[in-house]
Parts: sequence; structure tokens; C-alpha cells
Amino acid sequence: MGRYIVRRLLYMFVVILVVSVITFLLMHAVPGGPFTQEKALPEETIRLLNERYHLDDPLYVQYLSYLYAVFIPHFTATPPSPSYQDDFMLNLKIGDLWIRWMNFGPSYGSRGRTVNDIFRDNLPISAQLGVMALLVALLIGMPLGIMAALKQNTFLDYLGMGAAIIGVSVPVIVLGPIMIWIFGIALKWLPPTGWDAKPPFFLGFLPTKLGWEFVQHALMPSVALGLGSSAVIARLTRAALLQTIREDYIRTARSKGLHERTIITRHALKNSLIPVVTVLGPLFAALVTGTFVTELIFGIPGMGKYFVTSITNRDYPVIMGTILLYAVFLVLANLIVDILYAYLDPRIRYD
Amino acid sequence: MHKNFQALSLLVMLSLILAACAPATAPAANAPAATEPSVPEATQPLAATEPSVPAGPKVLITNFLSGDVATLDPAVSQDVNSTQIAQEAFIGMTNLNEVTNLVEPGMATSWDVVNNDDGSQTITLHLRNDVPWVRWNGAEVETVKTCDGSAARIVNANDFAYGIYRNQLPANASPYAYLLGFVLKGASDFSTGKTDDFSTVGVKVIDDFTLEMTFIDQVAYNLEIAGLWVALAQPKWIIEGDCDGAVQARGERWIEPGFFQSYGPFTLKEWVHDDYISIVKNPFWPGTEEIPQPKLDEVVFHMLDEPAQLAEYEAGNADMVSSPPLSDLDRIKADPVLSKELSVSPQFCTYYYGFNTKAPVVNDVRVRRALSMAVDRQSLIDNVTKGGQEPAQWFARPGLAGSPTMADHPDLGIKYDPEAAKAELQSYLDEKGVTADSLDLSLMYNTSTGHQAIAEAIQQMWKDVLGVNVKLVNQEFRVYLDTVQSKNTPQIWRLGWCLDYPDANNFDRENNAVNGSQNPAENGEPYGGFNWKNEEYERLVLAAAKESDPAKRVELYAQAEEIAIVDDAIMIPLYWYTNLDLTKPYVVRTYSSDGKESFEKWDILPH
Amino acid sequence: MSVESKSIGAGGMPLTQKRVSLRQDALRRLIRNRAAVVGSSIIILLLLMAVFAPLIAVKPFDAQVLVDQNKVPEWLVSIFPTMRSYAKFSIEYPLGADYVGRDLFSRIVYGARVSLTVAFIGPLISLFIGVIYGSISGYFGGRVDDIMMRIVDILYAFPTLLFIILLMAFFRSTLSDIQPGTIEYAINQLDESVGGMFFIFIGIGLTAWQNMARLTRAQVLSAREKEFIEAAHTIGASNLRIMFRHILPNIAGPLIVAETLAIPGYIATEAFLSFIGLGVNPPTPSWGSMISDGSRAIRTYPNQAIFPALALAITMFAFNFLGDGLRDALDPRLRGTQ
Repeated sequence: MGRYIVRRLLYMFVVILVVSVITFLLMHAVPGGPFTQEKALPEETIRLLNERYHLDDPLYVQYLSYLYAVFIPHFTATPPSPSYQDDFMLNLKIGDLWIRWMNFGPSYGSRGRTVNDIFRDNLPISAQLGVMALLVALLIGMPLGIMAALKQNTFLDYLGMGAAIIGVSVPVIVLGPIMIWIFGIALKWLPPTGWDAKPPFFLGFLPTKLGWEFVQHALMPSVALGLGSSAVIARLTRAALLQTIREDYIRTARSKGLHERTIITRHALKNSLIPVVTVLGPLFAALVTGTFVTELIFGIPGMGKYFVTSITNRDYPVIMGTILLYAVFLVLANLIVDILYAYLDPRIRYD
Repeated sequence: MHKNFQALSLLVMLSLILAACAPATAPAANAPAATEPSVPEATQPLAATEPSVPAGPKVLITNFLSGDVATLDPAVSQDVNSTQIAQEAFIGMTNLNEVTNLVEPGMATSWDVVNNDDGSQTITLHLRNDVPWVRWNGAEVETVKTCDGSAARIVNANDFAYGIYRNQLPANASPYAYLLGFVLKGASDFSTGKTDDFSTVGVKVIDDFTLEMTFIDQVAYNLEIAGLWVALAQPKWIIEGDCDGAVQARGERWIEPGFFQSYGPFTLKEWVHDDYISIVKNPFWPGTEEIPQPKLDEVVFHMLDEPAQLAEYEAGNADMVSSPPLSDLDRIKADPVLSKELSVSPQFCTYYYGFNTKAPVVNDVRVRRALSMAVDRQSLIDNVTKGGQEPAQWFARPGLAGSPTMADHPDLGIKYDPEAAKAELQSYLDEKGVTADSLDLSLMYNTSTGHQAIAEAIQQMWKDVLGVNVKLVNQEFRVYLDTVQSKNTPQIWRLGWCLDYPDANNFDRENNAVNGSQNPAENGEPYGGFNWKNEEYERLVLAAAKESDPAKRVELYAQAEEIAIVDDAIMIPLYWYTNLDLTKPYVVRTYSSDGKESFEKWDILPH
Repeated sequence: MSVESKSIGAGGMPLTQKRVSLRQDALRRLIRNRAAVVGSSIIILLLLMAVFAPLIAVKPFDAQVLVDQNKVPEWLVSIFPTMRSYAKFSIEYPLGADYVGRDLFSRIVYGARVSLTVAFIGPLISLFIGVIYGSISGYFGGRVDDIMMRIVDILYAFPTLLFIILLMAFFRSTLSDIQPGTIEYAINQLDESVGGMFFIFIGIGLTAWQNMARLTRAQVLSAREKEFIEAAHTIGASNLRIMFRHILPNIAGPLIVAETLAIPGYIATEAFLSFIGLGVNPPTPSWGSMISDGSRAIRTYPNQAIFPALALAITMFAFNFLGDGLRDALDPRLRGTQ
């Protein structure tokens, strides 16, 4: 298992490297630069800006220095300074030596702000939203799926799956504003927009206070975001459970005269969880990175918008940062799922 | 079995379990509950005051558009949100009244203007000596002390000279360095790196409270530019470090809360990126006739998309929001409450369609004029843009210094005139022997619902009036901006222009003239944008800039506009912008025309 | 063996000797499955609507009547009473008019063309690339498989949005600098003729086929271990023949099911691209762009967002039902307990 994980992590590194090359070349191939704006800047200013961010270097030099800043650990005697050029994700002090790693560079759009700042301030909020949405998806999806499977081809089956599919069919773009309208403005039950957590975060990503207020703010966006995924979960649960309850060992359990309830909860459910677990990784990755629309509608200061706006603004370091983050996230999520999967299904052993 | 369920729940609930163990109280530096009036009191045990009690702090909740404020560093600011904060946190040597757009005393109480024989102009500014630098220390606003801690640092002429220096420093690559570069002696050479000697720039500290500025030309807008955000005092000690290292050099990151220092009526309290900015009253601001001590204790700017802003406003969580979504205007105008809270005030921007005057078909002025006269601007405003905008007859909006007004020049420029439009086009068609529907015309705009609606409406008008089929092409924003300034500028394109300083020069010369923003040129020959050169126009806008008699300036600009809009018809001016605001009735306010509000003049009445 | 195959291809395949009867059996069960029947009927109706759009929608989808903008039929007020105070009424527009006075009903009817094209072209692209790629990978296994799957992994994390903007920028530039006869010109013409949907296909194609490739590979991996494939090998059948005659027909079921269930995702992708302004060219109507336009004023004119959303929901609903039904019918392991 250990060797397997190490191999996967090494492999992740290769994926990241290839993705970084492709992204780098693509973003520089797209017309329109980061300093193009409606009120055109004088050529001299553009030249200075390019100089400032080293965009006047040959592309391969830019790429290699990016790799150097991000991937290669820096060993130095000078302590970190507040400069925007000197912002590393990891700063370790061993004796007099500083080990510093992962400088994703400055954001062109926000002077003095770095990609690491965005990761530190905005990513935790998207992660919180993603976790909440995943919870919503599981809390709605699994019971619906189980109900539908146990009552296959009955009215309850159709009702359950119908409800789940409605969830996936109504786009957040419509669902969000309607929810704000009903619960935020008409009934005034929930705050229409906003997120009740802000930096600094506990352990780097958790809200420092977690109470009713947090839930109040999180409720509408998590439901809007998670509802679509609940259909995926419901359908998977249903299919998996249907398959499991036809397996021999369930028949054996039945023939042993075990209570139907015991059979379902103790034997069938566990095994039908496996396919559900396999999608959790990609689903969570999609939820965290697919928050653009939800964040825009509910005014959540998360990371989701940077996946889109960095590209529309040609904010090169932010594009690189977000896409590499996405890649790492996806690969890691899949890895965790695979490990969990082995744990749930003793037949699977890696290596 | 149970173990396995735990494994699953571990994956999804890890954060919640951990969070439950988290400390329940927020760090001391965080905002008190007053910034979020929707918050129930019970969940905020630390809150000291209740927002609705009249004696409590007066907190105004308003909004910026979605997306983080680009910077709070005035030296490198360029967008309206950044300069809005700069407007409140720093005061220029001169001040532009946000309503009348006239120059009035700011940090300088008076100034002497001397016209030199070589055509340059020297302005000596006498500054106040009673304004200290302040910062928010997490609990209250305090003055910034000198190195020995004995006294407050007082804003002085060196701080202003340093502010101009930072704005012009090539390493900072400030987007608006060119504003001073145009007018301030030697600034352009310094900011483009031709010299690294700042003493060659026309800024001289005479004494602690006297600054002398030398301008290239004797033009009307020198004093306006001296008061802009590009020439504000800046705290050198926090940016470059001071007191033998006791004050750490923050570089460009001095603008974060806790480090940010300023001296205006408000100073920065909190900045939660992408979420909100709050500015708090500076009790050390002395208060002047023009810039009084604020009555508000705090102003909070949330960063929200327009529909979200409106939702917060209607839920009672915001006191003022701008630009409600267009389609909601019908409902707002019919609503007995909201309609009374809606205000329309002029905004100094012009929306226009430009022509590439060298592109096929539109290289004939008759076609351009016909297209321009065929647009029913009032119908466009009533049916599409809806914000009570004014139909534009020319480019430099009335209200700018030097601009003609509708009252004194009712017939200047171009108007909707379908018959004349048809006649112009017919004369072209007859000459070329072609039919209107065979003309190959395309209009390009950047992808956006608003621009699309306008383009679609105008496409229809052209079809109805002239019978031409204009093709609509859209491009993603940045690609588009590259295209409309390239050698391949499309036949017809859209753009808008907003003021930097309230003078017609900022419009007529800086956008349209050769080498202007939308008329890029190489060696004096335009190659893109309008792709247009008219010697008479160039002469007129230059003469108008240097003219000192306001009435003569208006006449010169009127002649220039007539050339650009009618004789050569290089653009179709469509409308002059308006600000649409929704303000709660208990807010006492002023209405700014340059997009930056002066909150020190606002108040919240007990309600 | 790597992990993906285990996660997806865990199940075995039906026995071959029953293939023909199995198909009949599947069809029989599909018809008996009410959800699938409802789903496919709706899809057929939608298809008819898209094909005969000019007959159903009396008004043209792109004619603007500015004075009629935002008009609504009177019956809407009974659903949204607040409209009474500000809405202008007109019986001419069965579902109302949009923000420049175009008939919403016509636009929804024509909009079906975009969504349905996406719903059918998306799977075609994804099946074509994914199945070929996945079967090669799975059939040959070993090093080939390893490399091919690693490429899929990389593409999985690939910045699709960036690529779409790049392509659009290249091809949707000014017409003046594109000469007839060049590839750019041809692609631009193609894009225009489909109302700007070409790049949506590219976007969907780029993202969709990887899942299909993984699934196909997993299915092929498990299928090629079966006795009947070994038998085919021993009688000297060629690789191609084994692939097309024996393996693919056997794994078609799960692939079709997965693809049907992926269709709502493609439709949603179109809507998202429209929302961020990279969708179809105006005035071509698409439900996605109508929803994103309408959603900004959902409190004032809810009809402008809700009706296209309803159309979208019904379509996605139908494909989901059909997919679920297909799965129940095609997967013998789920054969009814009743």
C-alpha cells in the first residue's frame, strides 16, 4: 500500500508538470494580454508592466523561472519579507536556514496580492462550501436512492428518483435567485447573500466560529450547489443497492432467516456504498472548483470565480495557480478514494 | 461495520468535527457585529452595541461590484473602486467638488499660479499643517507616531512629493502615470526611464508645508490633475521602512489592514478580500468647509453582483446600492416604496460606436453619417438601456469644463433624422451602383448581454431605416480590446469612455486625436481604432486646451466636435451615462457625477 | 492492474449464447419500464418540436419589437400576482416577450434545436473518440494501456475553458483578415452556419470522451478475459474482428446507458458556457443563454428565466428517465425481482 501511494504521488508530479506546460503555452497563445483594457494604456506603460512581471522574457525563460519558483525548494538564510515577490506557501526554519517552497507568483489584477494569498483567503471558503454541498448531496441522495431501490418500480421509486432528477435538472442560475427571493427577501428566514467565515481560518481552512449563523449563510448556497450532485448519489446508491441485494450472500443471509432490516443495514448497504465512495472524490473536486455560478449569485468570497475570471482577465499566474491546484486536487481526491475503496472492499489490494 | 461507516463520515465530516472543537470567539481584531446588521444579537455575545439604537455607531452599508478591489494604493490605482477608497482615505492638494466638478481647496488651503515666459506654469501650493497620519489599530483610529514616539506624524509637502514619485517610478509601472506625464514638467522622461533623476521632475518641496509644481503648458486642467489620486501624500516610512528597522518595510503590501495609513476623513478598518471593505471615521481629520468631519462612523462596501446587491437592499441589509439590473427597473419604478428611493444622476461617461474610417464601405463619410443619423437614441434609451440616460449628440459630455451644453448648443452634433440618413445613403448607393441590402457591414462588440441588447436594437434600426443588413460579431472582452486597436480594427465597434478629470480635453484629445487612446498611431500616422487624422481637429483641441477664456474654450471644442461627429462622422455617439442609485429614505446624501462619492457629507437619520 | 478498471468494470458481462434473445428481452423490459417510455416519448416530442419549429412557432425567433419588450400574457399574473402593478400585457405572446421584444415561446421552440443538437452530437463525439481510445487501451493492455490512460488522466485536469477561448479567439476574429479558402474561413463558416455551436461541441468533446474511454477500457478489460473471447482467439480471429464482432456488442449496453446519463451534463455545459458569455452567437436562441439573460431579473419577469429553465428541466428529465430505464433493461443483473 505504501509503495502504491508513493508511486501515485510521483505520478501526480508528472501529471502536474505536463498540465503546467500545456496551460502555460495555451494561455500565452490566447490573444489579449493582462493589461489590455477598455481605456487603452499607453504603450510605454504596457512595456513597464511587462518588464515588472518579466513578461518581456522569452517564453521558455518565463516557464523555467515559474517552475523554479513553484517546484524547487529554496534554501536561504534571509527570513521572509513582506514583498509580493517573496511569498512562499511553505516557510520552514531549521536553525539559521529557511526552507521555502511554492511561490505561485503575484496576481496581476490585484496589486500587492499573490496567488498564495488567494489560496489562503479564498480556497478555504470554497472548500467549506464544497463540503457543505457534499453533505447536502449525501443527505438527500442516499436516503432517496435507498428508498428507491428497496421499493423498486413502485410509486416511491419513481417519486424518489423523480425528485432527485428534478434537483439535477434545475440550473443553479435559476434555483439560486428563486431561493434568495423566497427565503431571503419574502420570508426573511435566511440572509440573501454572504458567507459567515473569513480569514484567518482555523487550521488554515476551517471557520473560526461555527454556529447557527454559519449554517444560516451556508444553507441556500449548499443546497443550490449540492442538489445537482444528490441526483448522482441517489442514482448510484439505487443501482448499487439493487445489484447487491441480488448477490448470493444476501440470499444466504435471507435463507438464514435474518431479519430483512438487518440484512439491508448490516450487509447490503455497506457493499453498495463502494460505487458511491468512488464518485465522492471527483464529485468533491467538481463541487469545490465548480462554484463559480453559486458564488456569484450568493456573493460568496470563494475561489470559484478565479477559475473563470483569471482566464477572462489573462491573469497568468492566477490561471497557472488555479489550474495546477485543480489538477492536484483531482489526483489527490482520486487517490484518497482509491485508498478508502480498498478499505471498504477487502477484495481489493494494491500491489 | 461501524468502523467502515466511520471511515466514510470521516471523509465528509472531518471539517465539521474539527470545527466543533474550534475556539468560539473571533480574534480581537475582527469587526464588531455592527458591520452586519442582519445578524441576530444572540449569536454575537461580544457585540457591544445594537445597530438600531440611534445612539449607536452610524454604519452605512453599500456595495461595490463583484470582484476584489484591485488595490488601495493610490499611486497605482486605476479603477473606480480603488479611487473611491482613495478619495475618502486621502485628500488631494486640491479637491474636485463631486457635484459641481469645480476645483476647491483640499490639503492646500491656497495656491499661487504663475505663467512663465517659456509657456510653462508654476503653481505653488500652501498646505495645511494640522493633519496627522492615522491608522486603525484593531480597536480604534490612532495617530501614527514619529520614530521617538513623541509626536504624531503630520502630513507635509515631502509626503506629497513622495506620492508623486511613487506614481511616476518606472518600477511601479503605474497605469495612470501618464496623466501626470502629460502635464507635469519632466514627469514623462522620469516615468518612462529616460532619466532616473527625480529632481528633473517639476515637483519641488519649498518647506514642510509648501510644494511647488511646474507644468508644461498653461492649461486649464493643471489644478484638477494636481488633486487627482495620482498626486496624493503617501507614508514613506511604512512602504520603505524607517526608524532603523523598527518600522518594517512593507513595500506594495502596506495597504493591508493594520499597516494601511492615511489622513483623510476615513481610514481603512477591514478588508476581507472579495468580500467587503470597511472604512472608519478618522476623528483626527480637522474638518474643513469643503471636506467636513464625517457624520457616519463607518462605511462598509460589500462586493456583490448587481442582482445580489438588489436582493440585499430589498431584504433591508443595505442602505444604498447602485445600478440595479435593467429588467428590474420596471418593477422598481412601479413599486410605491422603491420608486421613491430611486435616483437618477448624471455620470461623466459616453457610450459610442466607432468607425474604422479606412475599412471598406465605412470609408465613405456618407455611409458613416447615414448610420449615425439612423439611430433613434431616445428609443434606445427608453426601450433598451432604460436608465434615463441622455441621447448623445457629441462625445465630450456636457458638464465637463470646456464642453458645450445642450442649452447653449442645442443643434450641435448629430440627431436622429431618418430622412436625411436615407438621402445620404442613397447618394452613396447611386454612385456605387449597389443596393442597400448588398452592403457588407459588420458591427463588433464584446460578449455581454448589455452590449448585445444595444447592438441588436441598433441592428434593427439600421434595417428599418436604411435597409442595410449589418452583421453582429462578438468577441471575448480581452480579445476584443486587442482587435479594436489593431491594424484589423473592424468596420464598426463599440466602446465607452469615462472621465479621469472633468475637462473636455480628457475626452476630445485623449481619446480621439492622433495617438489618442482609440486612435493608435505609428510615427504620427494612425493605423487602428478610428484610423483617422484631421489636421484641423488636432489644431482645435490643442488650442482649446491652452485657451484660458472658458467661453472661447467651449466654442473651440464645439467646432472640434462638429468635425469629429458630423463632418467626418468618425463615431456614433449614443448616450451619456447616468448613475442609478437606490437609497434608503433615512440616508442624507450628495450625488457625485464622477462615480466617487464623498461619504463625509452623508448622514444616517434615526429610523 | 490499476485501480480504475476495478472501480468501474467490477461487474461481469452477459453470456453470449443468449445474445439475440437478450436483446429482445431488453427491449421488452424497456417498453415495460414506464419511466423509459415516458422519457423517450418526451424526447421524440422535443425532436419533432425542433424539426418543425417554423410550423409551431408562428413568430420568428429573432424579430425584435422594442415597444413590446417584457410584455407578458395576462394569465401569468395569476401565478405571479406582483406583476400586476408594472407588467404590460399582450395576448400576442403566449409566454411573454423578452428584453428586446422577441417572442419567448418561439425562442424556446427554436432553442430546442441547440439543446438537442448538443444532446446528440455530444454523445457522438464522446462515443466515437472514447470508445475507440478505450478499446485500444483495454484490448492491448500493458504498456500501451498504461501510457494511454496516463494521457487521459492529464486531459482530465486540462483547462478546457482556456482552450475554448483560444479557439474562439482564433476563429471568431474580424472577418476582414480571414480569406476564403483557408481553414480558419471554413471553420468560421461552419461555426456561423450552426449559430456558434461549433465551439460548444469542441468544449464538450474535449471534456466528455475521457470518462467514456475509461469506462470502455474497463469493460473491454473484463470482457477479454471471458471464455468466448479466448475461443475466438483460438480459431484465429483477427484483433479487429474480435473487437467489433465479439467485444463491442457485448459491452454496448453499459456504454449506452452511461452516455445517456451523461447527456444532461452536456446540456448543462452549454448553459454554463452561455452564462459566462461563450455560448451560441446571438440572435440564435439557446435555453442556456435565455436562462442566463432571464435570471438577472427573475424577480421582475420570472417568465423569462423559468420557461426556458422548465424546457431544459423537462429535457434533462427525459434523458435521465430514459437512461435509468435503459440501465434497468440492459443490465441483466438488475432484472426485476417482481
